[in-house]
Amino acid sequence: MTLGGRVGMRTGWSRRTRQEQLVYKLLLPVFGTVFVLATIPFVMAVIEALTAGPRGFVGLANFETALGNPLLFESIKQTAFYAAIALPTEILGGLGIALLVHRVIRSPGLRAAIYVAAMIPIVIPQIAVGVVFRLVYQPDYGILNVLLGRTGHDQLLWLSSPPLAMIATASVDIWQWTPFVYLVLFAGLQTVPSESVEAAQVDGASTWSQFRHIELPYLRPLLLLVLFFRLADVIRVFDHVYVLTGGGPGTTTQYLSLYIYRIGFQFTDLSQASALAVLVMAAMTIFYTIVSRFLPADRG
Amino acid sequence: MNRGRRSTRIATYLLLLGIGLIFAFPLYYLIVTSFKTKSELFAAVPSLVPQALNPAAYESVLFTRGYTGLLFNSIVVGLSATILAIAVAFAICYPITRLPASRRLRAFVLNWALSLRFLPPIAVVIPYFTIIRTVGLYNQLPALIVVYTIFNLPLAIWMLRGFLDEIPLEIEQAALVDGASRWQAFRHVLLPLSRTAILAVVIIVFAFDWAEFLFAFILTATPQAQTFPVGVQGLVTQFEIIWNEMAAGGVIAIVIPLTLMLIARRHVMTGLTFGVIREK
Repeated sequence: MTLGGRVGMRTGWSRRTRQEQLVYKLLLPVFGTVFVLATIPFVMAVIEALTAGPRGFVGLANFETALGNPLLFESIKQTAFYAAIALPTEILGGLGIALLVHRVIRSPGLRAAIYVAAMIPIVIPQIAVGVVFRLVYQPDYGILNVLLGRTGHDQLLWLSSPPLAMIATASVDIWQWTPFVYLVLFAGLQTVPSESVEAAQVDGASTWSQFRHIELPYLRPLLLLVLFFRLADVIRVFDHVYVLTGGGPGTTTQYLSLYIYRIGFQFTDLSQASALAVLVMAAMTIFYTIVSRFLPADRG
Repeated sequence: MNRGRRSTRIATYLLLLGIGLIFAFPLYYLIVTSFKTKSELFAAVPSLVPQALNPAAYESVLFTRGYTGLLFNSIVVGLSATILAIAVAFAICYPITRLPASRRLRAFVLNWALSLRFLPPIAVVIPYFTIIRTVGLYNQLPALIVVYTIFNLPLAIWMLRGFLDEIPLEIEQAALVDGASRWQAFRHVLLPLSRTAILAVVIIVFAFDWAEFLFAFILTATPQAQTFPVGVQGLVTQFEIIWNEMAAGGVIAIVIPLTLMLIARRHVMTGLTFGVIREK
């Protein structure tokens, strides 16, 4: 009560209706608590990044160490390669399948079955996906090498030769997330009014121009959504790579999250890792601020 | 013309079938491997069909290695974090959807939640690691419960808010006009109407909690607090590679979220896209 009175003097609390006051009374305790709990790590990361254990405050030294390590830029480059393999394949593949199913399959039962089947890879825990693909890519026991051997080809070291290891880890991403792209875009195609499609067909529009001029405008916001969500996920990729290659061979698949993990928990340099965490949080905040304007999610 | 169309149709069916088989095969092979015996494992050429459904690998993982304890941890953490998340999400969504909250406040809360979704866990777990060790919760389930609650909150808030927006305000207002208190209107009108919503959010948040790996991997050290995915990772990297047990661990890790998601299949995409994709 006394608090309400004091705030009221400054912000016109008393002029708000009782219902508007209720909004704040209900929201503040709970939202305030989780907001603080979620914000503490930012503050802690900054504090730790500016100190070095017993040596106390060290200014920007940890940031200098972090940014002076060429392996950091190596890991960013590898992450970019991973994204460059996985994202276009997922988006074009998902789009292709969505268009095929949309155009060719009419039976509602079959459509529903495909819908549920496509959900399966997405809901599998990443660690288990790593296990699944260990069985596919393993040199001796892996099914891929067994098939190569049976058909008289040389077996390949999928997980321990540099370019293949990266392709192998990206292929897991593709296996798991192409169906997601399909599901989002297929849902988008269902929102295209059938009258405009029919009108275009009567006008003799080609399949391409039907896609380009009628369907694509409906899909564009969803393509952006998919791209942003997948980008955010690629930057955090960790679980299946850790199980498949552990970042190897060498540092070929040591993507950004695996690199930071290694600095923090294998070299136990938590100060440098905190500096990296601060840099990543800052970068993601900028990324989010730019991206969120374009997200189709209704945020009001 | 007609014939050409028919053959492209058949070609498309075959293409889709082929894609489906490529996607299904790794999972099939996982299940098959989990039922193999040791001798089948070391056959010169791995078979694609097991000789019998041999549960030895499952018994070994669950009982000999004691992974039932990890399953128990996963369930305790998952259930607690899910209940907390739905309670907190309700407390946050109720004022911004049922009361005259300003647009700015509403947008701020929703935006904040969405921005959490974009944070890479590795950046967050480093400071949490220090905090949790300082407060003496390292390698203890409560630490995981708190962290899971916070980081699945965005999902819970966005899903619940979508559902609540669809329940007309008039229904509660009618109760208020009839003399019910706000609490009574919430308890006896809104809550029963939200039953489906709550169930959907609970199932999907639990499945996400169940699948989480990185936080559990870093914030725990012994089977006392490790979750099942951490154990599965151990099967892959720590012991000698015992394929059937590794596969059995994978299957167990998959079964629970898969079952839950099939139950809540109409809401999975809504959750994953933060409400952009809506099933009717």
